Amino acid sequence: MLFEIGRTTVAGRAALTVRGELDLATAPQLAAAAEELMSTSPDGFVIDLSPTQFLDSSGARTLMVLARSAREAGVELHVLVPRGNRPVRLPIDLLDLGTAVPVVAAASEIGTSVAREDSGT
Amino acid sequence: MTASSVDADALLRCADEPIAVPGAIQPHGVLLAATEPDLAVVVASGNAEAVLGRVGGTLDQYLTDDDAARLRDALAGDLSEVNPLRVQVGGADVDLVLHRADGLLITEWEPVAGAEEAGAAWHTRLPTVLQRLAASSTLDDLSEVLARDVRTLTGFDRVMVYRFDEAWNGEVIAEDRRADLEPFLGLWFPASDIPAQARALYTSNWMRIIPDAGYQRVPLDPPVNPLTGRPLDLSGAMLRSVSPVHLEYLANMGVVSSMSVSLIDRGKLWGLISCHHYAGPHRPSYPDRVAAEFLGRTASLLLRTLVAAGVTDGVVEVARRTAELTAAVGRTPRALGTALTGNDPSALDLLPATGAAVRLGGQLMLLGTTPPAERVVPLVRALLDGGVTATDAVSTVVPAAADLASTASGVLAVPVGGEDFLAWFRPETLREVTWGGNPYQSKTAQTDDGPRLSPRRSFAAWSETVRETSRPWRQHEIAAARTLAGHLAEATLNRAEEDNRLAGALQRTLLLEELPKVPGVALAARYRPSQDDVVGGDWYDLVPLPSGRLSIVLGDVAGHGLAAAAVTAQLRHALRAHLLRAEGPAAALDGLNEVIGALLPGEMATVVVAELDPDSGDVVVASAGHLPVLHAAADGAEYVMEGRGPALGVLDAPSYRETRLRLAGDDRLLLFSDGLVERSAAGLAAGLDALRDAVGAGPAEPQQLLDAVLAALNPPSTDDVTLLGVART
Repeated sequence: MLFEIGRTTVAGRAALTVRGELDLATAPQLAAAAEELMSTSPDGFVIDLSPTQFLDSSGARTLMVLARSAREAGVELHVLVPRGNRPVRLPIDLLDLGTAVPVVAAASEIGTSVAREDSGT
Repeated sequence: MTASSVDADALLRCADEPIAVPGAIQPHGVLLAATEPDLAVVVASGNAEAVLGRVGGTLDQYLTDDDAARLRDALAGDLSEVNPLRVQVGGADVDLVLHRADGLLITEWEPVAGAEEAGAAWHTRLPTVLQRLAASSTLDDLSEVLARDVRTLTGFDRVMVYRFDEAWNGEVIAEDRRADLEPFLGLWFPASDIPAQARALYTSNWMRIIPDAGYQRVPLDPPVNPLTGRPLDLSGAMLRSVSPVHLEYLANMGVVSSMSVSLIDRGKLWGLISCHHYAGPHRPSYPDRVAAEFLGRTASLLLRTLVAAGVTDGVVEVARRTAELTAAVGRTPRALGTALTGNDPSALDLLPATGAAVRLGGQLMLLGTTPPAERVVPLVRALLDGGVTATDAVSTVVPAAADLASTASGVLAVPVGGEDFLAWFRPETLREVTWGGNPYQSKTAQTDDGPRLSPRRSFAAWSETVRETSRPWRQHEIAAARTLAGHLAEATLNRAEEDNRLAGALQRTLLLEELPKVPGVALAARYRPSQDDVVGGDWYDLVPLPSGRLSIVLGDVAGHGLAAAAVTAQLRHALRAHLLRAEGPAAALDGLNEVIGALLPGEMATVVVAELDPDSGDVVVASAGHLPVLHAAADGAEYVMEGRGPALGVLDAPSYRETRLRLAGDDRLLLFSDGLVERSAAGLAAGLDALRDAVGAGPAEPQQLLDAVLAALNPPSTDDVTLLGVART
């Protein structure tokens, strides 16, 4: 299957839906697309890995780099990986990505996290 | 006979049409051709008697004695300097215009009465007009001044400046017109409107006028030149009768009177000043026409600098960028990709393009707007394999790329060596060409003599959209691309040699030449480089601590090649220092994270540390984003899932955790890099399962165990693979 990044909407937010394998060869494309989206959606956006078939350490690093630049830019980033997507969920868990990247398992969690933040401020 | 061959036939017929020797003149003057020095008239136009009151004889007999003497004087000098000789015939002013052709003196007599004269006022303004022309800094300025002043001078309803393209289609680039006329500015006229034969004539004869397109031609008598036995050559005659096809063309456009002045750049017809009059016949006086021709000649001289300035502008810019990029390549031969994509200017800035692709060392980098990455390589490959360097219509070369028109209608591609290349992309430029009438309409009419060119009847603007075509690539742009690619190929070659040498040296510092001998511990290490890179980002280390413990380290720096290797070397040494000082692995990782944040911002690495007490078998494990270590015990192998934290360089101040386990009896501990399991055919989970099975079933001795694991998993050579095995003895 060809690698493809689609511009979509998840939980009412701008999102990049990644199809195919996110690895050394394709991760730079996600980085570029996300940097661009970050500049146009200053509030927040979602990287949707639901249909992603593979994630390697390069892809994981790219997610960490993006999380870092989003944090520095004050942009709220969520990475959506359903628990059912084992090939992607596993490296995320194994590499302890959750500490550095805001990973959610369902689109509904994105709404609640916003609501929580809203109520807190 | 097919339609196109009928057209070709008609064009040939037109090319045969005797436009230089029509055997007739227009009726607004009289032509007398005389022999010299006796000035005996041997050919005369049929209107001589009606206009001049006589026929035959010698030229003196048509003139007053004074004028006859002036004529004789003039004939001794340069004829072009005396034109026109204003003489009196029957009490009326007549402009006498002289030139020689076919061995005869051709005299043309144009009565001043009936001509429009701009008068002295205009001629006194000539210096100002010339100044305006000379001050034009662009072609547009020059054309506008030209159109406006030629119209002021000649009084035509419309004056256009018309420029030919390579195919002799003409575009109206400037226009001055009567306010109530519809604009022709921007219209295109197809090449067939002015046939090749006419264009050839226009290159030698700068000025043509037809005061009344509805004129009756006046034949010459006799029809042939008695000296040559052939029709008289009228190509230099101002009264020359024009082709009936041309008159029909003018009538179809509603033009009653027309005049045109050639614009000639370095001997080549560049364009025309084309004047139309619609209200009725119109004839500017001979001196006014000469003044208009003079403006055309002056503009022609200026064309060279203005056109050249327009062209060389881009050349200078591209040359400057070529030098800058070449210098950047020379400065950073180790990071050619960065030199071309990470700096300002980048490869995209080399020449005007909207996207660029740089493929170096097999790595593709895209700049600006390009086709998707997976389409770029096949597209460029197809072009290069087909021997095509530059195209402004890629779908005509690679039909499968037609859907990429919006980003890559134009592609310029140059090989760098091997499979590497540089490429630039230009999008489809929807070029709207508005023709003065449909140029594809049949222009052939059937006559008794066979098909003949028939001038187009419709001059309503007819638009055509040219698709899947970009702005064309210019020669100097292609040359610049080749130059840059040449420098890159050279730098790559030099680098490849040096890399081999450096890689060897680095490898020795990164990988231990000999594993330390630690009493009570059996160690094994395996490093398998990837096929693509001499040096990967993996590293391992074994650090005996003062406490008698042994730190076993396995890490992986993001990235590949020498840059990653350099970072790896720094991290390895920094971690050693922290391990020697810190309370435990987690504290050492905290310290290392500070190092990476402070000294290597932007870098990212994963590492796992296992600290073994050889006496007790106690092991403390801490991981920074690394894959878990595998603990093989008598009852099976399990991954150690505790004691993990984020990769180094991700968070400012993570607090790494530790976990403890005991290495008992024949237990083994296995540390590995992601290359071992990640690309297993069935995915990471399957890879981890296979590794666990292989270790569980494998031999106890670490060296044999690692060989068994590598044999069982057979990881692909696309990534480097590192394995450490530890057991107690």
